Amino acid sequence: MQLPSLLRTSGRIAARALFLASTLLLTGCDLNFWRMDGHQTTMIAEGPVARSQLHLFYVTCWVVIVIFILVGAALAYATFKFRARSEADEHAEPPPQGHGNPLVEVGLIAASVFALVIIAIPTLRAIWYTYEIPEAEKANAYEIKATGEQWWFRFEYPKEQIENVGPLVTSNELVIPAGRPVKIDLRTSDVIHSFWVPKLAGKVDMIPNRGNHLWLQADKPGYFWGQCAEYCGDSHAVMRFRVIALGEKEFKEWLVAQKAPARTVTPPTGANTQAKPQFTAFKEWRKNEAGYTDKFDVSPLDNWVQQQYPDKNEDAALVIQGRKVFQEKTCIVCHTVRGHEGVGINGPNLTHLGSRTTIAAGLLENNPEQLARWLRHPNDVKPGNKMYLGIGAMKGYVTTDQRGNVVSHNIVLSDAEVTALVAYLNSLK
Amino acid sequence: MEATVKSHFIDKGEKSPARPAILYRPTAKTGLMMWLTTVDHKRIGFLYGIFALFFFLVGGVEALLIRIQLMVPNNNVLSAEQYNTMFTMHGTTMIFLAIMPLSSAFFNFIMPLQIGARDVAFPRLNAFSLWTFVVGAIILNIGWFMHDGAPDGGWFGYAPLTSRIFNPDHSIDLWVMGLQLLGVASIAASLNFIVTIINMRAPGMTMMRLPVFTWMTLITSFLIVLAFPAITIALVELMMDRLFHTNFFEASNGGMPILWQHLFWVFGHPEVYILILPAMGVISEILPTFSRKPLFGYPIVVFSGAAIGFLGFGVWSHHMFTTGLGNIATAAFALATMAIAVPTGVKIFNWIGTLWGGHLMMRTPMMFALGFIWMFMFGGFSGIMHSAAPADAQQQDSYFVVAHFHYVLIGGSLFGLLAGIHFWFPLFFGRKVSEFWGKLSFWLIFIGFNVTFFPMHFLGLNGMPRRTFTYDGNLGWNAPNFIATIGAFILGIGVAIYFIVMVYTYFKGERVKRDYWDGRTLEWSIPNPPPEYNFRVIPTVHARDAWWYEKHHQAEIAQEKAEHAKEEAEHGGIHMPFPSIWPFFTSVGLLIGAIGVAVINHDPSPGFWGTKINVSMIGGVVMFISIYFWALEGNEGYHLHPEDGEDHDSAAKPAAKH
Repeated sequence: MQLPSLLRTSGRIAARALFLASTLLLTGCDLNFWRMDGHQTTMIAEGPVARSQLHLFYVTCWVVIVIFILVGAALAYATFKFRARSEADEHAEPPPQGHGNPLVEVGLIAASVFALVIIAIPTLRAIWYTYEIPEAEKANAYEIKATGEQWWFRFEYPKEQIENVGPLVTSNELVIPAGRPVKIDLRTSDVIHSFWVPKLAGKVDMIPNRGNHLWLQADKPGYFWGQCAEYCGDSHAVMRFRVIALGEKEFKEWLVAQKAPARTVTPPTGANTQAKPQFTAFKEWRKNEAGYTDKFDVSPLDNWVQQQYPDKNEDAALVIQGRKVFQEKTCIVCHTVRGHEGVGINGPNLTHLGSRTTIAAGLLENNPEQLARWLRHPNDVKPGNKMYLGIGAMKGYVTTDQRGNVVSHNIVLSDAEVTALVAYLNSLK
Repeated sequence: MEATVKSHFIDKGEKSPARPAILYRPTAKTGLMMWLTTVDHKRIGFLYGIFALFFFLVGGVEALLIRIQLMVPNNNVLSAEQYNTMFTMHGTTMIFLAIMPLSSAFFNFIMPLQIGARDVAFPRLNAFSLWTFVVGAIILNIGWFMHDGAPDGGWFGYAPLTSRIFNPDHSIDLWVMGLQLLGVASIAASLNFIVTIINMRAPGMTMMRLPVFTWMTLITSFLIVLAFPAITIALVELMMDRLFHTNFFEASNGGMPILWQHLFWVFGHPEVYILILPAMGVISEILPTFSRKPLFGYPIVVFSGAAIGFLGFGVWSHHMFTTGLGNIATAAFALATMAIAVPTGVKIFNWIGTLWGGHLMMRTPMMFALGFIWMFMFGGFSGIMHSAAPADAQQQDSYFVVAHFHYVLIGGSLFGLLAGIHFWFPLFFGRKVSEFWGKLSFWLIFIGFNVTFFPMHFLGLNGMPRRTFTYDGNLGWNAPNFIATIGAFILGIGVAIYFIVMVYTYFKGERVKRDYWDGRTLEWSIPNPPPEYNFRVIPTVHARDAWWYEKHHQAEIAQEKAEHAKEEAEHGGIHMPFPSIWPFFTSVGLLIGAIGVAVINHDPSPGFWGTKINVSMIGGVVMFISIYFWALEGNEGYHLHPEDGEDHDSAAKPAAKH
C-alpha cells in the first residue's frame, strides 16, 4: 500500500468520528463481554476435545491466579510498607545493605517448581488425549479431509464415494455426525491455513507438504462457527466456515441428498415465459458491511434444516436462464455443479450450494440479496479473491497487470443476469 | 586499559608517515560531519536512541490505525491490504526498529560507563553497526513511498505466503533485505559489546561485580550473536527462492514451508529475551537505587538471566504447538517452556526482596519499574498458561496471545526502557525531568495500556483470531474492541506527554549535579553530561556496587585515584581516537546494494540503473572500497590531559594533532 492512499483514508477517518462517538453510547450497554459466550467462544465446550482443553485452561488459570495473589500481595505489601513517607524518611541513613538470603531463594524456587508440576501433569495427559482418537472409539470414527484454499475450505468425504465421480465434495460448511469422533485430515492447496472450531476443538494448521490431522466430536447436534486462524493473505479475516453436527439419521439423509446430482428444475409448461425480476433494485453494500441477519442467530440449526428444502416461490424460467448464464459467463470452468455443466475444481463445489446457510466461506448469509452482492462485487466482499482476479490460466472477472491495475474486464454481469444466476444458485438444493 | 595505554598506537608526538589526504581521519567536532563520523559510544548511543524513538512513534501511529479499524465491527477505515501492511509493519518496526535499538542505545551509552571503560572495544565497528541499522530501517520503510507498498507478509513472514507466487511484489523483498541488514548491524554491535565487557573492565571489576545491566547486556549480546544467524539463513533462503527460483520453501517442488517456521522461531524465541533482558537489567539497577540497598540475591539474578538465555534456545516450538509436532515434541517443548518460568519467577522474587526492608523513593523511574514488575507478572502468568499446549491450541493466534505478548513487550520491555530513560536522563544531559509530568505520563501510560490490552484476554478466549481486518458484530467482540481502542488513545496521549516532556527537559529542564539519584554504579561517578573521555582516571573497583563503595570509602579512593592519574599522565594522557567516515560509507554501500536486490524490478528496465545486478555491484564496490580505506586510514588519535579541577564539566583541553 501507498502513502497517497493512506492520506485518502485519513480523510475517511475524520468522517467517521461522529459515527464513532454515537457507538460509544451503544457499546456502553454491552459490557457483558466477560461472559465470553459468543458463537466462537473457547469457554463453552461442546465436545470432548474442547472440554479437555478448557479443563486444562482452568487448571492453569487457577494456578496462576493463586501465585499471582501471593506474589502480588508480597509486592504490594513491600511497596506500601517500605515507602519513604516523609522528608525525614528520604534523608534517613540508608537501610542495612543486605545481599539476599539463599534459604528464601531456594524455598521460592522449590515452590515454583511445585506449582509447575501441578500444571505439567494435566498438560501431558491432555496432549495425548487431544492428539489421537482414544483406541476404544477408533472403530466408530468418521473420516473427513479438509483442504484450505485462499480463502475458503474444501471438505471431502472419502467414505462417501459417488459412482464415476469420486468422493463427495462440499465446501465451507462441514456436516458431521454428532456423538461420534471425527478425524479430519488437514491439507492445503496454497499457503498455510489453520482449522479452528473453538467450541469443538483447538486449532491445527494446514501446512503445504505436511499431513496434519485433528479429531473432534460434537456432543449433540448443533451449529458451530469456525474460522481460519493462521494469517493467509489479504482476505484471511473473512475466511470462515461452519460445522453442522447432525444426529445419525439426519446425517444419513443428508449424505443421500448430497450424493445426488444437482437438482434440475423442470421447465415450465407454456413456452416463452419471461423472467420476473426478483429484485426491484440492488442494494449497494458498503465494504465489510455485515452480511447476516440477527434473526438467523436465534436458532441457526433450525435455519440450516429449513435451508435444505427448495424455495416454494422459485421461478423455473429464471432458474433455467441462470443455468445458461452460469455456462456463458465461464463459471463452469472453476465450479463443479455435479450433473449440470460445471466441472471445474478451482472454486468451491456448488452442486448443493442452495442447501448451505452461508456463502463466500461462511461470511455472508445465503440469501438472494447476499448472493447478488457477492456476484456483483466479489472484490469488495473478499479482497483479492480468485473469482475476481482469476487463477493461473483461468480468467476471473478482471485481468490485472503486474502493478495490480485492471487492464480488462472478462466477466461482466448485467443486473438481469445476476438475477438469473441468483435464482439458479438458489435452486441448487 | 593498561594494554591501550601502553600500545604502540599512542602517538607520542612523532610525525606519522606521509599518506594520501583521503586516508587522514576527520576531526570534525561539530555539525553534521561530527555526527556522521563519530566513534564516541555516547554519541552513537544517543543516535540509536533518537532513531529508535522516531520509529517507536511510527510504530505507534500504525498501532493506532489498527485500533481505529477494529474500533467497531464491519469497519472500513483501512482496506484489507492496508490493514495487513499495518500489522506487519507495526510488529517489525516495534521489534527491530524501536525496542532493539533503544536497548542498544543503553548498551552503548551506559555499559562502558558501568565497567569503567573509555569506549567500546571497536569504536569504528560501533559506528558501522549504527549506520547499518539505519540502512536496514530505510529499506524496511522505503515501501511506503513505492507503488508496491510496505511489506504485508506478517512480521513472522511465514513461507509460502511470502514466496513470489503468493506475494509477487517488492514489498517482501524489502522486508527480507531490511531484516538481513538489521541482522548484520545487530551481530556486529553485539560482538563489540561482548569483547568490551570481557576485555575492557576496569581493574577489580570481576565478572561477579559487574552491574546487572551490564550482565544483561552481555547475555543479550550472546543471544543476538547466536540467534540472528538462524533468521539470516532463513532470510537468505527466502531471498534465493524469490530471486533465483530455488526450492527451499517451494512446496510444489518439494520444499518444506515448515522449515521456515523452525528457523524463524529458533531466532524468534531468543528474540523475545533479547527484547526483555535489557529491560530486566534496567529494572535491576533502578530498584536498588531507589530502595537504597543492594539487589537482593545478585548471583541468582545473574544466573537466572543466563539460564533464561540458555533455555530460551530450547523452547522455540511453543510458537508452533498447532503445526502438528507430534506428542513427544509437543510435550518436550511444553515442559521446557514451563521450566523457563522458574528463572523468570526468581527475578520477580528477587526484585521484591530488593524492595523489602528498603527506603523506597517513589520517583518516576521507580514508578515505571514497579509498573514493570506488575505488568510483567501478568504477561508471565499468561505465558505459563500458554505452555499448557492443549489449552494453547485454543489460544494460539487469538487475541489472548496478543494480550500476552503486549503485556510482556509494553508492560515489560517498554516500561523498563522508559524507566531507563527517566533514570539516566540526568546523566545523559545533566538535566532532570519534572516529577509531576513524569508521573502523569506514567499513570496515563499505565492506565491506557491496561485498558487497551486487558480486554484482549477476553476477546481471545471468546474466539477472536489475530490479524483480521474486520469482524462481525454478532460474536460478542464489540465492547472489548471498543474499549481497547479508547485505551490505545489514552496510551498514545501518555506516550506523547512523555516525549514532549523529554524534549522540553532536554532544552529547558532544571540542571542537576552529578549523581542525582545517589546511584550505586560507576556511571554515576562521572560528571554530567559525561566528558568524551568518560573517566579522568580509570577507577579501581573494590566491591559490587562500585560507586556506592567509593562514596563510603572516600579517603582510600582519593589516594588510589591520585596514583592512577599520575601513572596515566606518564603514559601520555588519555588517548582518544579520531572520528572516521568509512563506517558510514560502508553502510551506504550496503544501502545501494540492498536497493539493487530489493527495489529494482525483477524485469530489467532500460539503462544502466535499471538492472538489479548493476546496482548491486555498485553497492558492493562502494562497500569494499570503504572497508579498504577503513583498514588503511591511520589509527591516530589525540591526547587529553584533563586537570584535577575539571571533573565538573567537559571543558578538557583537546590537544589535537595528526
